[in-house]
Amino acid sequence: MIDSAAEVHPEDRAANPYSSVVAAHPQPFYARLRDECPVAAMEGMPEGVHIISRYEDVKFALKHHEIFSSDFVAVDIGQDRPLIPLQIDPPEHAHYRRVMDPHLSAKELAHLEADARRLVNEVVDRFIDRGECDFHAEFSMPLPCLVFLSLTGLPLGELDRFLTWKDNIIRPETFDMDEAAAIRRQTGADMYAFFEDAIDQRAANGTDDIISRFMKTEVDGRLMSRDEMLDLCYLFILGGLDTVTATLDCSIAYLAQHPDHRRELVDDPSLIPNAVEELLRMQTPVMQVLRVVARPHRMHGVEMKPGDHAVVMLGSADTDPGEFGADADLVNLHREANRHLAFGGGPHRCLGSHLARLELRVALEVLHERIPDYRIAAGADLEYSPGIREIKSLPLVFA
Amino acid sequence: MKVRLDDELCVGHGRCYALAPDVFDADDQGHCVLRFDDEDLPERFVDVAKQAVANCPEDALAMEG
Ligand code: HEM
Ligand code: SF4
Repeated sequence: MIDSAAEVHPEDRAANPYSSVVAAHPQPFYARLRDECPVAAMEGMPEGVHIISRYEDVKFALKHHEIFSSDFVAVDIGQDRPLIPLQIDPPEHAHYRRVMDPHLSAKELAHLEADARRLVNEVVDRFIDRGECDFHAEFSMPLPCLVFLSLTGLPLGELDRFLTWKDNIIRPETFDMDEAAAIRRQTGADMYAFFEDAIDQRAANGTDDIISRFMKTEVDGRLMSRDEMLDLCYLFILGGLDTVTATLDCSIAYLAQHPDHRRELVDDPSLIPNAVEELLRMQTPVMQVLRVVARPHRMHGVEMKPGDHAVVMLGSADTDPGEFGADADLVNLHREANRHLAFGGGPHRCLGSHLARLELRVALEVLHERIPDYRIAAGADLEYSPGIREIKSLPLVFA
Repeated sequence: MKVRLDDELCVGHGRCYALAPDVFDADDQGHCVLRFDDEDLPERFVDVAKQAVANCPEDALAMEG
């Protein structure tokens, strides 16, 4: 195995988190960052991009929006305005979260569990008799999309269209920057048009799904605007699909390679909620979040200037022995204290975290009930994508 | 023993009410509500309350006494 620690260069205080070697096995990379350059510069980028890696520093950055702001349009991802709530700072941010959170709270989503279980079972039905599958393509990709369609009351038949949109935006199939931007803009326009229709239909026939509910939601004494609604749909697709896919990929790849842990879950499914948290911690499928520096700030001797960017490494915080103890680098399904930051923290704590937890728990429950024994197909080479750690192909063989 | 909540810090991760539903509830927004506000916890809930406190990523909870 190539050691990801080689992607940290303490001699020039630089590091490259966006390599496939890091994505596949980030722990040695994280450890070296934390130990040898807790504020690193991004290798090959102009000055002013700071990688923050220790648990305490990451938490500080997440909590201090007056220094580490979210108020920027980070890259051209095809949207017209700052994304609500992702790119809005407190105090305005709280106005939106106050009205959005209730629709995605754990209590509110409890009714979705039966649907989610049915969808997971249907997805498994399609491959179980074959005794093998590409878990990524056949399970982790479709599942979050199907759950999203069911939550929004859209026809499940839209699955393929959604998967294509999502890929066009997150990973346009081109290395040409202008071409990529054009694909994103076109896809953004298609998506907005699709959701315009969905919203019109709901305005006409009061249905009860999450889009209809958001349409009746007031922010600061006014209904959410059409633009805000559209942005929200866009953000759900951007933030709510690949993230769950990556978590499923990483979790199942781990369990396929660690039969003792898998057997524990099969023997005692009551461990699954804890396992979901521990795998989220250890794998931290969303490796980092981004911030823009709003005020001069000094961290570990490094001066950060307004306009600089911060890459806040959630994954390295989540494996910091300073917080999680000597076994921080090991999966412990019985871990007692787990203040992981896989869903971020502070005001921008993932709006979909309760939905994600529900999907992950139900997925692990059904899978281990129906397919208690599985391993990675011989000769398979798992390729993880950087940033959001999906596995491009995850061939499994069932015993 | 009592459990304390700092509302200003809670952002609704929901680890507390998932782990110790007898001790913590959620409001509409999914933020924590104490079931024993300013009261001593019944002895049988103390351990599970401590576990929940140790899992709050925002340090919004603390044990006291
Ligand atoms: C395991 C799956 C998921 C992971 C690991 C994850 C991770 C994250 C992280 C780290 C953030 C913080 C971003 C920041 O601080 O800049 C975030 C925010 C967000 N996530 Fe998720 N997410 C997941 C699933 C979902 C789902 C299913 C949805 C859709 C309902 C969703 C919607 C959002 C939204 C709307 C935000 C922005 C919140 C805000 O800025 O206030 N996420 N997510
Ligand atoms: S775990 Fe902490 S942040 Fe989350 S709801 Fe409970 S008190 Fe609030």
